Amino acid sequence: MKTWIQTTALSMATLGLAAPALADELTVYTALEEEEIAAYVEAAQAAMPDTEINVLRLSTGKLGARLLAEAGNPQADVIWGWAVSAMMDPQILEMLEPYSAKGVDVLPDTFRGADGKWFAPIGYMGAFCVNTARLEEKGLPMPTSWADLENPAFKDEILMPDPNSSGTGYLHVNAVLQSMGTEAGWAQLEAVDPNMAQYTSSGSKPCKSARVGEYTVGISLAFTAMQSIEEGYPLAMVFPEGGVGYELEASGLMASSDNKEAAKAFLDWTMSDEAIGLYQTYKALITVPGVDASKAAEAAGLPADISTVLAKVDFVRAATDQTAVKAQWKEKFGR
Amino acid sequence: MSVAGHTTRHPARRRFDADRLLTLACVGLPLIGLILFFAYPMAIVFLRSITVDGSYGLGNYAEVLGSSGFWRATRHSLVMGGATTALSVFLGFIIAHGLYRCAFPGKWLIRSVIVLPLLAPSLVQALGLIFLLGRNGIISRALGIEIEIYGFWGLLIANTLYALPQAVMIIGAALILLDARTYEAAEVMGAPPWRQFRDLTIPAARFGILNAAFVCFTITITDFGNAAVIGGDYSVLATEIYSQVVGQRNFNMGAVVGIMLLLPTVISYSIERQAMKRQQAGQTTGQVAYRPEFAALRDLSMAALSLLICAGILSVIGIVVYASFVTLWPYNMTLSPKHYDITLAGGYSSLWMTIVISLAAAAGGTVAVFLLGLGLRRLPQAIAQPIQILAAMPAAVPGMVLGLAYILTFNSTATPLYLLYGTAALIAIVNFYHYHTQAFLTVMTGFRQLPEALEEAAGSLGAGLGRTARDIVAPFIAPMLVSVFFFLFMRSMVTLSAVVFLTTPDLSVAAVTIMRLDDAGLTSQAAAFSTCVMAVVCAAVLSMKATLALMGRRTMAKGAE
Repeated sequence: MKTWIQTTALSMATLGLAAPALADELTVYTALEEEEIAAYVEAAQAAMPDTEINVLRLSTGKLGARLLAEAGNPQADVIWGWAVSAMMDPQILEMLEPYSAKGVDVLPDTFRGADGKWFAPIGYMGAFCVNTARLEEKGLPMPTSWADLENPAFKDEILMPDPNSSGTGYLHVNAVLQSMGTEAGWAQLEAVDPNMAQYTSSGSKPCKSARVGEYTVGISLAFTAMQSIEEGYPLAMVFPEGGVGYELEASGLMASSDNKEAAKAFLDWTMSDEAIGLYQTYKALITVPGVDASKAAEAAGLPADISTVLAKVDFVRAATDQTAVKAQWKEKFGR
Repeated sequence: MSVAGHTTRHPARRRFDADRLLTLACVGLPLIGLILFFAYPMAIVFLRSITVDGSYGLGNYAEVLGSSGFWRATRHSLVMGGATTALSVFLGFIIAHGLYRCAFPGKWLIRSVIVLPLLAPSLVQALGLIFLLGRNGIISRALGIEIEIYGFWGLLIANTLYALPQAVMIIGAALILLDARTYEAAEVMGAPPWRQFRDLTIPAARFGILNAAFVCFTITITDFGNAAVIGGDYSVLATEIYSQVVGQRNFNMGAVVGIMLLLPTVISYSIERQAMKRQQAGQTTGQVAYRPEFAALRDLSMAALSLLICAGILSVIGIVVYASFVTLWPYNMTLSPKHYDITLAGGYSSLWMTIVISLAAAAGGTVAVFLLGLGLRRLPQAIAQPIQILAAMPAAVPGMVLGLAYILTFNSTATPLYLLYGTAALIAIVNFYHYHTQAFLTVMTGFRQLPEALEEAAGSLGAGLGRTARDIVAPFIAPMLVSVFFFLFMRSMVTLSAVVFLTTPDLSVAAVTIMRLDDAGLTSQAAAFSTCVMAVVCAAVLSMKATLALMGRRTMAKGAE
């Protein structure tokens, strides 16, 4: 009943005029996962009691569309935890202002923009989601590399996101191309193509389809794999030999923000000891040197030293190459 | 305005002028809405589509037209649109015919089940089909074979499920008002039932059938949700837009495809209007409502077919409701309420706000299309025609394009419309205009059956437009208005594609909560939340229907006094 009254009152207010943004309100756009957002915001709110932190969560792709559509009159003060390959789009960089958050100097150069517009203390990884029940039923061998997926027995048993629609799709394609070399990489993707049942538009869909037994292998995200395993699905998370693709979750300050003090304070918080402590609970991939992610990794069934499973990725090259790679991919594999 | 200058002492003249003013207002208000909230945002999308590196040109169009992917998607979209239209209109006619022209018990059941796809969040339909017909679905497992649902056939079923209730609504609006006396006359003259059907029912329903076909075709070629989850690799134009805008942040190219989607729609609607010109409009006065009598062969087969379709719909939605209580579909089938304990993504808080928004969209929208339909009847064809095409266009715009167009338009401080940005009012508005076509065409189909002579008689007896509208037109058209209201209400409760771009940190709606839960991997919780939304919508619709029935009974009692 109380929520009803509250929301009615709220709707009365919102049906009227959009209240001008108050000085002590901060609007944050993010693509981090719901559960971690809740924990981080609670802590950040306690650290910044005078600022009301309002968070809008959208998936990486939709957040990009929203940011670009709003470019004429940006609504966000901060972009927080968003795929760096999207962040490095010139249309987005144009909207950002360089800011050196407190404590950001500890990050190696590869984890922050040369222009100071973004920094990324955390990241996420791709993974193969393998449905063990279906694998057994079909009598298939457990795949441990991209090359294993060439096996004709996997025909129509593999799903992968389309890099033209999904950042996760590009994450995998880019990792294959960069870790194997361009020519060998394309050859690898071509060898797997006949076995691909579908190229999906969503990055988590391959894992979600694999976990309910629609397909055997979903080339997808480690987060979805871990979450599915925790829920009890008969799923194995596999990192392909030779390295799996990963993505940095970058943050930056919007140049248009009318509340830069609070925005900067929030960005400072994301590099604070308190924040880094929370990353250790939620994140398997932390780029802050000397910070041990083993607890979160171990809980998720990952190797303690995560760097052993990651592909060598040059994010600047990944960003500059992406238009050409996506076009070439569409030419070769578009269905 | 010249009309005001003519207001003289002459009473008949004054009434005439007042009527003209009222006609202008009837058309004018909804038209201003259509221009501000549809034409203007789409004009901005058009500008984006011709923007190349900061200046204007057709380079984007050339690039899109030159890509093989575009033509493949176009071919797929047209084939899918045609197949879905044929299937939906065929099945929709069977159901509407069964409901309004046949006599069998249990129609309330068909009427209730047929609207379920409208009030089901898109996730439900997708999950339902996969749980039933997927490679690891119930039917596949029971039969021991793997059905390959992903691709053309799955997409056809999903699109038909969604289009069917809209086809029934529009065809129903044409069939509900047929005059019983023509059938009696045919009976007396010894016309067998199949001839009555061919020579009376089909011609009378033609306007409704064509409108329904137009709607089914348009919503199919613009739909993204079904294509993404069950279409597999069957690329369509809406997935092209998604991949341009969301995948590659290539706004202007997405705008090009969005604008091109308007073309087949405008063409098909114009052809349809042309075809309709040849048909005599309206009915004679003094209609007698048709009361079908039981005819075993006709009614039993109609009832069986309708029930079969309903069983299909019910199983798709029912299985998701069931799965929301299952611990771990399909691996641990014990029942548990645990998925209903939703704390992430704002929990249940968005549900109430969504009801407020949906009621506003439905009420405002129903009044607007009624006024527009009323006014259009009194305008010369040359003026009415372009307005009708504009009013029928919104369905041709994919929700994602409309949502982004709203950001581009209303997030600009250049106009006072900026005040709407970030408000619940704007979400209600986008919901109405997203479904404007269906609402408008249903009301127009209803108006088509209204005898002009009735209005003329009222006019010559001295009733002005206001009184005619209230006492003659509104009661006649009431059943259509009620279905339009519920249609707008149900769609507003669950539609996602446009509103996902208009929610703010403080203002979310139920469909966005469902998406966020699913994004977080909590598909069962998303199904549980969807079940709650469907339950709330059912409860709301039932209570509103009960209120209407009560009010109807009271007015009837009053009239009898």
